[in-house]
This record gives sequence, C-alpha cells and structure tokens, in this order.
Amino acid sequence: MLSPYRVLDLTNERGQLCGQILGDLGADVIQIEPPGGSPVRRRGPFVDDVPHPDRSLQWWACNRNKRGVTLDLDSPRGQEMLRRLAARADFLIESETPGVQAQRGLGHDELAALNPRLVYVSITPFGQTGPKAHWADSDLVLMAASGPLLMTGDEDRAPLRVSVPQAYLHAGAEAAGAALVANHERQRSGQGQHVDVSAQQAIALATQSYVLATAAGFFDAQRMSGGAKIGPLTVRFVFPASDGHVSITFLFGPSAGPFTRRLMHYVHEEGFCDVATRDKDWIGFFEKLMNGDETMTELERIKETVAACTRTKTKAALMQIALERDLLMAPVATTREVIENVQLTHRGYWQTVAHPELGRDVVYPGPFARPSAMPIRYRRRPPTVGEHNHEIYGGELGLGGDEIAALGTAGVV
Amino acid sequence: MTAAALADVKVVDLMWAIAGPAATRVLADYGATVVRIESTTRTDICRTVAPFRDMPPGPESAVLFHNVNTGKQMMTLDLASAEGREVFFDLVRWADVVTEAYTAGTMRTLGLDYDTLRAVNPGIIMLSTCLMGQTGPLAAFAGFGNLSASITGFGNLCGWPDRPPAGPFGAYTDYLAPRFSLATILAALDHRRRTGEGQYIDLAQGEASIHFLTPAMLDYTVNGRIQGPTGNDDSEDAPHGVYPAAGSDRWLALAVRSDAQFAALAGVIGQAELARDLRFATAAARREHREALNAQIADWTRQQDAHAAERTLQDAGIAAAVCANSADMAADPQLVHREHIRELSHPAYGTTPVEGSRFRLSRTPAVVAGAAPTLGRDNQDVLTTILGYDEDRITDLVIAGALG
Repeated sequence: MLSPYRVLDLTNERGQLCGQILGDLGADVIQIEPPGGSPVRRRGPFVDDVPHPDRSLQWWACNRNKRGVTLDLDSPRGQEMLRRLAARADFLIESETPGVQAQRGLGHDELAALNPRLVYVSITPFGQTGPKAHWADSDLVLMAASGPLLMTGDEDRAPLRVSVPQAYLHAGAEAAGAALVANHERQRSGQGQHVDVSAQQAIALATQSYVLATAAGFFDAQRMSGGAKIGPLTVRFVFPASDGHVSITFLFGPSAGPFTRRLMHYVHEEGFCDVATRDKDWIGFFEKLMNGDETMTELERIKETVAACTRTKTKAALMQIALERDLLMAPVATTREVIENVQLTHRGYWQTVAHPELGRDVVYPGPFARPSAMPIRYRRRPPTVGEHNHEIYGGELGLGGDEIAALGTAGVV
Repeated sequence: MTAAALADVKVVDLMWAIAGPAATRVLADYGATVVRIESTTRTDICRTVAPFRDMPPGPESAVLFHNVNTGKQMMTLDLASAEGREVFFDLVRWADVVTEAYTAGTMRTLGLDYDTLRAVNPGIIMLSTCLMGQTGPLAAFAGFGNLSASITGFGNLCGWPDRPPAGPFGAYTDYLAPRFSLATILAALDHRRRTGEGQYIDLAQGEASIHFLTPAMLDYTVNGRIQGPTGNDDSEDAPHGVYPAAGSDRWLALAVRSDAQFAALAGVIGQAELARDLRFATAAARREHREALNAQIADWTRQQDAHAAERTLQDAGIAAAVCANSADMAADPQLVHREHIRELSHPAYGTTPVEGSRFRLSRTPAVVAGAAPTLGRDNQDVLTTILGYDEDRITDLVIAGALG
C-alpha cells in the first residue's frame, strides 16, 4: 500500500520496528548502518549460538522488508551522501540522542531545507526537548519511568519487566502510525514535518490508564503475581493447570460477570464448588464486596475452588472447555506452543523466508494485519551488512564501483 | 492556520474495550471526525474497569473509557433494528473508514459485513479487529488482552525463573495492537487516495502482538530453544535490575551498558574498588557474578531516596529511573513538559484527566480538547449535522427505539 514511498531508516536499537512496519506495508525502506554493521547485530540470540553480525535474531526481528547499506554519518563524505539520499526520500527515521543529527548537519531543519516534503521521524527515550531529553536510557529503565514496571511482578519481590525487551517496540510501533499521520497531511499541504516520538509516553499506554490514577483521585494498582491488587481487591488471572498455567479473566460486572457465571457453573459441574458458590451474583459481586455483603476472604476461597478445578486439567483441555462454554480462559503458552497454535497454523500465519546466505529457510511471525487489497508480503529477508551498497550507491547516487571501493577503504561505507 | 492533519478523515467507530478505541483515539487527536456508536444495552467493558473518578462507579466513571475515547462523537444506535441499520448505512455512505472490534462473526450476524457495507459505499475501508482473527477454529474465541497475552507467549515470558509466571500488567496486547491498526488504516487511506480502492482489513490482536516477541519466536524456530522468563536479568548488560530504595514499595531500575558506566557506578555507590575487581571486569564477567554485584548495589540503594539516587546515577551517565507510580508520573518534569496529562472539561466531573498524544507533529500538532462523550451525547448533532435528517425523521427514530 505504501509502495510509492522511500524510507531512510537510520535507527539503532531504538525503534527499528517503525521502518519494518512501513516496509511490511509496502514502502521501500533502506536501513542505514555504521560501517561494520549496526550495534543491534551484536545482540543475541544468534543462529546456532554463533555470534556474527549476520546471524543476530535481534537484527532479524526488525529488519525484514528493508534493504541495507553502511555509511559513516560522522564523516563529511558520509553526511553528504546521506543528504543526497534524503533529498529524494519521503520519510527519514532516526533515533539518536537529540542534537546529534543536527551536529552532523542531518537534523530536521537541515534536511527539510533540502527536501521540504520529507517526513522526519525522531524516536528518543524521552522526546526531543525537556529536562530528561538527554538522560541515559535502556529497556528496563524506560519501562520503569513509564509506569508499567511497578505494577508488574510478584508482590514480595522487585518489579519485573517482560523478558523480551519491549520499550523500543512500543516506541517504534507508535512512530509508524505517527509517520503516516504526517504523510496524510503532506498530501494536502505538500510539506513534511518533524515527528517527535517519546518512548516514555508511548509505553505509558501499557499502564491501562493507571498513569492517570493520582490525577483522577484514585489509588494505584499494585503488582501481584498473575494479576494485580486494585485497592482492597485482588484480581487474579493466572491459575494452575496440570501441565502449566492458564489465564482466566476472573472479573465481575455487566460485561465480564456472565463469563464468570458460566465458569462457576463449570467448576460446580466438575465437583469443585457448591450450588451457593456457583449462584453468587457475579454481575454485582464487586458492589457487594464494597458494601460488605461479600468479603475478600470469601473471594479468596472461591478462587481456590477455581484453582482446585483447573489444576486437574491440561492447558489444552481447558482451552477446549473455554471454546465450548464461552469462557474467558486461555493457556499461558510457551513459545513452542505459540508456534504450534492451531489457530495460527490454520490461518497460515507463520512465514517461511529463505536465507540463502546461510543455506536455510527460517520461519518468521507472519503479517500483523491482512489488508485485502494489498496483502503484506515478506519480499526481503533482513539484509546482511552492507548488502545493498552497490545497488544504492551505484544505482541511486551514480557512483562507480571504484568510487564505492575507495569509500570502503576510507571507512565511509 | 494550518488545518488538522486528518481533518478530512471520517470514521464510524463500532469498537469497544481498549485496543480498538485506542487506535481511533489517535485519529481523533489529529482531527479526524470519529463517530462512536454504542449500544445502550451492551456495556463497554472499558466503562467497568478501574481507575474510576468516583465510587461506587457509574457508567461514566471510568478513567480508561475517558482516556481512549477523547475527542470522539457518540451516538447510541440499535443495530439490530431496521431503522437503526438505515441510520448506520447512511453513516457508512458518509464515512471513509468503518472500524469494529466485536467477536468474529458478529458483523455478519448483524448483516453488516464488509460485502454489505461495500455495496453501500464501494470505497469504504473496513477494519475488523478481534483477539485471534476473523477465520479459523479460534475465531470466535472472545476475550481481552490478558488472554491474548497468555496465548501468544507474553504470560510465560514475564516472571521469575523459580516462580509461576507473573505475566505483564493488565490486558497487555490491548496496548500493542492499536499501533498496528492505526498504521494499517492510514496506509489503506493512502492506497485509496491513489487508486480509489477500498478494502477489508482483518487484524488479529494476537497476530500483531507476536511482533513484540519476535526474537524469542525465532530462537525457537531457528535454534529450537524455548525461552522462559528471566526475571530482570539481561542477556547482555550487567548489572541490570530493579533495586530497593528507602521507603515503602520504592524501587530503582538500573542498567549498566559499558565498562565505563560500571566504573562510574562503583564510584557512586562508594565501592570504587569493584571496578578493579576481575570478577566484574567485563559485561560477561559481571553477568556471571551478578548476584554478588546485585547485593552490593542493593546495600547502597536501600539507604537512598529513589528520586535522589536516580538523579545521582543519571548525573554519572548511568541509565537509571525510579519505578514510577502515578504520583511520580503526574509530577515528572519531563511528562509535564510534554503535557502528557491533560485536564479536559467533563459534564459530570468538572474536569477529567486524559493522556495527551504520545508523539508530537511540528506543524500540525494534536488537539486534545474534547472529553470522551457521555452515552448518546451527540445523537442529535450526528443526525442533523452529518446526516441532514429533519426533526420528523429523528422523532420517528426515537419512537421506533432505533437510538439505542
């Protein structure tokens, strides 16, 4: 859908998902790395656990549907070549600390003067301006500064992150939509603009609006393994299965209450609770907790009856029961179980991509969406270091093979 | 004055819960006209989830609902009635985009599937988003992002290795999917502008969200390794963790990303000799001896005010942050600078807080101005201003019970 557009992607580990989303949607994305390759390529895991810039799965995760070139943006020659590429690009995405690109003569203002139509996207930890604009960052630190961390984990231990780094995926995905908002506007005005994405603000979405709790006069949610504590209420989602765990949306009220009612009928039929427990007012249970008609002790007892029931079944059996009875229950799946998931398999989700440089085919997560007019295709595997230098510098900038070789000798590419 | 970025975009929004409305909220921030259609009999779960503005909560009390529906218009409509459907089809004729987040199959049951809408408006872009997609054996599997997060692997990849999985907070994949929905809708609008072609988009929350776990998925498909939860340890950086600070439930997150930063940290915590200790000379060595190191760091952080320690460490060039609670977030000078929390006028509460846009556009900034509408607030306005109905027709709709 975005095939008319050229994207220059200068991002490092901060926000490479942005360019990949645009590439998946059809844009022509050129990832620009420092000579020797992006620092992302030094992060594992690696193919067969052999560290190598072209074997990093971290790199593969966010660079599909991109071409790749190397260019030293700290050298005058590299800067000049980047400016030539930017003069005819539609989008530029970068993730340096604020001010770094301007020092190179590659900031928004400099490039907008060359190409007023350019949508210039900056992805940074805290935003382009403000008292923390230059603070040091990492995945863990951003998850802390944005709110989700304190609410995640076991109540008797430190707050906890997701084991697969998330912060810059939030920021990168946010930036893709932001870039396309600016693109839409450009069709009318003929002008690009500077898109300034803050990872901290992007991640705050994952607080489920608890970022606003104090401002709204409410109390914070507190972490609890497999759920959360909301004031006096403990919300528990994770229950044991015979071969692992399942998640159950054990909530009340007009939307979730009917699901809980059906769950308790099942628990009763299986012999784990009495009729009185089964027939409690699951729609009004929260109000009854608040006015004292029900107690937290009773709620804990009920959850234990649910746990006693689920503990006797496998995850697969409980998934089947959830489907048959319309329950809010699903397995806590391992990556292997995700990859073997019947639904994802049925929908042909997983995509096999050839990596001829390694002589193997690799199965990737499939399209994030299924647009009927222009389905998402995996046209290109992630590029090896400098794979498209000749194609881009020769074909686009008109440099000869000798000139490109000389740039290599000089360390520019 | 420059017009809003999306001033020409018209959306009919049948979405509910979080993932859908959070996407169309961004469209509204940047000037799109978003008409949200809600049922008076089927309560949006967003209205029943804390935090609340007051207790016991009423239907308009939920902060989450306010936050993801800011800037939209709202009409109530009974889509099962013939009269209600006619109103809906008129809105489809007016709209560029129709979005819905019902359980798969619901729109077909209502007689409102894409083929029907396309017959009404050939250029319409329709996005359906549900947990697992519109087709397949789990298509009808209903639920929220906590279940999607479990079934797609997040639940098992957030926890301590010696404990049952903790799982990420709340309906985690509900916060991931909106970004993919937004980008796809905007790409589809661009495609239509150039080709005249509308389309149908099936966006499964689970399928989109797996893109936040790709390295772990590839580790299995390539290396056959099933990754498990690793607490707060990092595969590269050490020390790397969350350490207790003075006070109740106060914590400091800290990541050392180079040997120089480690030397700086050793100095800050008054243990400069650690930087010369061979056990801690490289990141690999520090990972191997992380427990000894973590204990030394915690001995220092326990004595520190979390905010003061954050400042001290940042001044030394070390990535560190307080594990922020909502009071910290409200007072964070960076978020204040970015106007992250806005107070909007609200008929029930005087004002209500919402989040601002998560990004800034330099020429056409977001306008976060109108609080989320109360149920049915804009019925009259939508019917007269957008659809041009006269009073007789509106009266007939009311009598027929079509407005919810």
